[in-house]
Amino acid sequence: MSEIYSPSSENDISNFIRESHEQATPIEIIGQNTRPIGRLIQCSKTLQLKNLNGIIEYFPEELYIKVKAATSLGLVEAELDKRDQELAFEPADLGFLYNGKSNKGSVGGAVSCNLSGSRRFKSGALRDHILGFQGVNGKGEIVKSGGTVVKNVTGYDVSKLIAGSYGTLVALTEIVLKVQPKNEESQTLLINNINLKKALNIFSKAMQTSVEISGACFYPEKSLNFFKLNDLDISTSITALRIEGPKISVIERVNTLKKLFDEYKKTMSVLENYQSRIFWKNTTDLEFFNNTESVVIKIILPSVNTGQFINQFENEELRYVVDWAGNLTWIAIPQNDSVLLRQLRKAALALNGHMTIIKAPNHVRIREDFLTTVDDNIRVLSLKIKESFDPKKILNPGKMYSGI
Amino acid sequence: MTLVMPQVDQLILDDKEKIVRDLKKFTNPINIISDLEGITPYETDALSAYKQKPMAVVLPENTREVSDILKYCNEKNIKVVPRGAGTGLSGGALPLADCVLLGLGKFNKILEIDFENRCVVTQPGVTNLALTKAVEHKDFYYAPDPSSQIACSIGGNIAENSGGVHSLKYGTTTNNVLGVEFVLMDGTIMRFGGKKIESEGYDLLGLITGSEGLLGVVTEVTVKILKKPQSIKALLLGFQKVEESGQCVSDIISGGIIPAGMEVMDKPLIKATDDYSKAGYPRDVDAILIVELDGTESEVNVLIKKVEEIAKKNKATYLRISKNDDERLRFWSGRKVAFPAVGSISPDYLCMDGTIPRKKLPEVLKEITRLSNKYGLRVANCFHAGDGNLHPLIMFDSNIRSELKKAEQFGADILKYCVKSGGVLTGEHGVGIEKRDLMCEMFNDEDIQQQLNIKEAFDKNSLLNPGKVYPLLHRCAEGGKMHVHKDNNKFKDIPRF
Repeated sequence: MSEIYSPSSENDISNFIRESHEQATPIEIIGQNTRPIGRLIQCSKTLQLKNLNGIIEYFPEELYIKVKAATSLGLVEAELDKRDQELAFEPADLGFLYNGKSNKGSVGGAVSCNLSGSRRFKSGALRDHILGFQGVNGKGEIVKSGGTVVKNVTGYDVSKLIAGSYGTLVALTEIVLKVQPKNEESQTLLINNINLKKALNIFSKAMQTSVEISGACFYPEKSLNFFKLNDLDISTSITALRIEGPKISVIERVNTLKKLFDEYKKTMSVLENYQSRIFWKNTTDLEFFNNTESVVIKIILPSVNTGQFINQFENEELRYVVDWAGNLTWIAIPQNDSVLLRQLRKAALALNGHMTIIKAPNHVRIREDFLTTVDDNIRVLSLKIKESFDPKKILNPGKMYSGI
Repeated sequence: MTLVMPQVDQLILDDKEKIVRDLKKFTNPINIISDLEGITPYETDALSAYKQKPMAVVLPENTREVSDILKYCNEKNIKVVPRGAGTGLSGGALPLADCVLLGLGKFNKILEIDFENRCVVTQPGVTNLALTKAVEHKDFYYAPDPSSQIACSIGGNIAENSGGVHSLKYGTTTNNVLGVEFVLMDGTIMRFGGKKIESEGYDLLGLITGSEGLLGVVTEVTVKILKKPQSIKALLLGFQKVEESGQCVSDIISGGIIPAGMEVMDKPLIKATDDYSKAGYPRDVDAILIVELDGTESEVNVLIKKVEEIAKKNKATYLRISKNDDERLRFWSGRKVAFPAVGSISPDYLCMDGTIPRKKLPEVLKEITRLSNKYGLRVANCFHAGDGNLHPLIMFDSNIRSELKKAEQFGADILKYCVKSGGVLTGEHGVGIEKRDLMCEMFNDEDIQQQLNIKEAFDKNSLLNPGKVYPLLHRCAEGGKMHVHKDNNKFKDIPRF
């Protein structure tokens, strides 16, 4: 049983890590412990950051919020909402995926995983919205980078490196995130009953226009039962395009798209503001996989390769959803089908993409690689970077790759 | 002023002839330049107050050659300074006496335009503007637009994480690059990212973007391209007080509007630029604010109306909305010649580049005025108000002996005040050698050591662009600034703003 330490100050964290560094004791770092993600690791000590919470400062007109690392993401979003602002990368509420109920976890956890929602292809990933951080490295030193301003080239952009590093470089203590005004209006153009190939064509065609869609996803037939929206026809596949902005512009742009995709007008409909927002929240939050027992994986491919990828597995009856205008595919497969899991990984690699395991039972997390990286040079460099922060490899050792 | 650079390795210099001979094995011998006349053009970048001739210049033609040359230099302990178009303002490409200067000028081809994936694959020596030119026939463009875009290279943009006037809405280079081919100092050829939207593992692409040529050499770049907005319009606003323009900027953003560009100029700069460009700016105001909005036609009209209301609330005494693209470009014409305009009213000037929280603009400008009186030097200010990036232009005369030093001290004081106000030392020009010795204003020893450790992970022997960005002795001294004499800017024709 791991010994849990829950300090309430940065200095206590620094002392704790310094001591662990001296003794070369591995530490597992957890925030609110809501995302069992990454390789399964066992450490004799656990550093729980949950006491490090609270908003340090929020200046809406400066478009940033600075928080302690374990501050609840839900709290941050509620605070931003009061000023009609939001996090443009649409952080997912993965509570549904892991436990069947809402739990957004901490800001630090979100940063560590760099997971972004449906707007990612337009507004960037979480890593594009982190302006600065402070944290404790594997020697117990308090280090910082970045600041609170958007335009900043002072020194290396270490914040980007920290985003998606799964707690293997620093224990985060403070985070500065860029915030954006909320869109006044959201509408979703829906096309029912077309296949993936046609959907991908629609995404591509829409992206070639100046309509600036901010969501583009495809749900195959029989995958939509979880939606509880009056105006959504869930009897067939759904291809959805989101348009956001000032209302007048949204209406115009929806009309442009309707004309552009006139050939599908018989099965076309529009979700208005309220339902449109729920549709994309459900999609970003992966409610399709609500509390599933399956292994859930994330596949990133150049969008033109996604059709070919899915075709290779048409006999497998995959449960999947395509998001990010074809760049992202979420797939659920049975727990014990490691052959299929490996086939999917291999196929993604062959099409210049990669696969990441997002949810899996412990025995799979032990047996299978979490990430796909096969390039030896990247592995060597990643190890050196790890050691530059954490020479004794005590922070979440092995969480990303074995040995790093 | 004296700038401490890494110690010259005399053994390397003694070996120069052999090294030049060896280098000729890796590339066409005509790509190696070592005679005095040939290397002189490479002795400085756009921070032309500082000059140093390199030991030799190498202009490789492909990635294999870059890799072989770096590997050789790494083994022989020879310093290497990479260089793109040499338009950098912070001295990032300043050679060292015992270095091989690695010029990427021959990497000048666009390799692939992929409209379906909305990206362009290019060699790093291609200019920023050439990328947009290559895709504009289909109404696409590459978003980051640093003012030197007609000359600066995309590889240099990645080294500096270049911005531009539209970075508030469209981000800087780091938000628009998808992948690179990257050669480490030991010759290892790597790929970070590519045509796919994101990669897994450590964000190496994010880390190397803006690393000022210290971590590796970019040999291929994939950038994303965007569809041009349907409609673009601008407002030209005048205010009796700088404070009012600052408040107007804050209110626009608080009002939920993210303009494509927002620029403030103070009175001295309004006069200088209007005299120089005949842009038609109001002369009876203390500050002008240009606000550019883009989107669909009706969206832009709605936003213009909102900004108009906010401007009136903030006591704008001058208000003009562009009727067509010509007029919009005329609004910008003065702003875009800010640097040469100042060059025309002063023998010399230094260009500073701090970023501050937007709301601190009036306070920082007040301090700059105080410092201007203290040092007895004139100053004009332009401000990328949207993202808080301030460019004070300090005017002086280098023929008066003490003035350069005074101007540099003045500049250092401004940057220190930017940091004190919650801002940073550099928004887009980079640290280079210029602000290197001010790094301790923002970072403590542990922060800097962490960054040096990262450097070591990429370049164990610290041979790639040493002496840049990080203070050699961990001390806070005043650094030099971009110095332009008699407007003898190295690339006079490139707009700077």
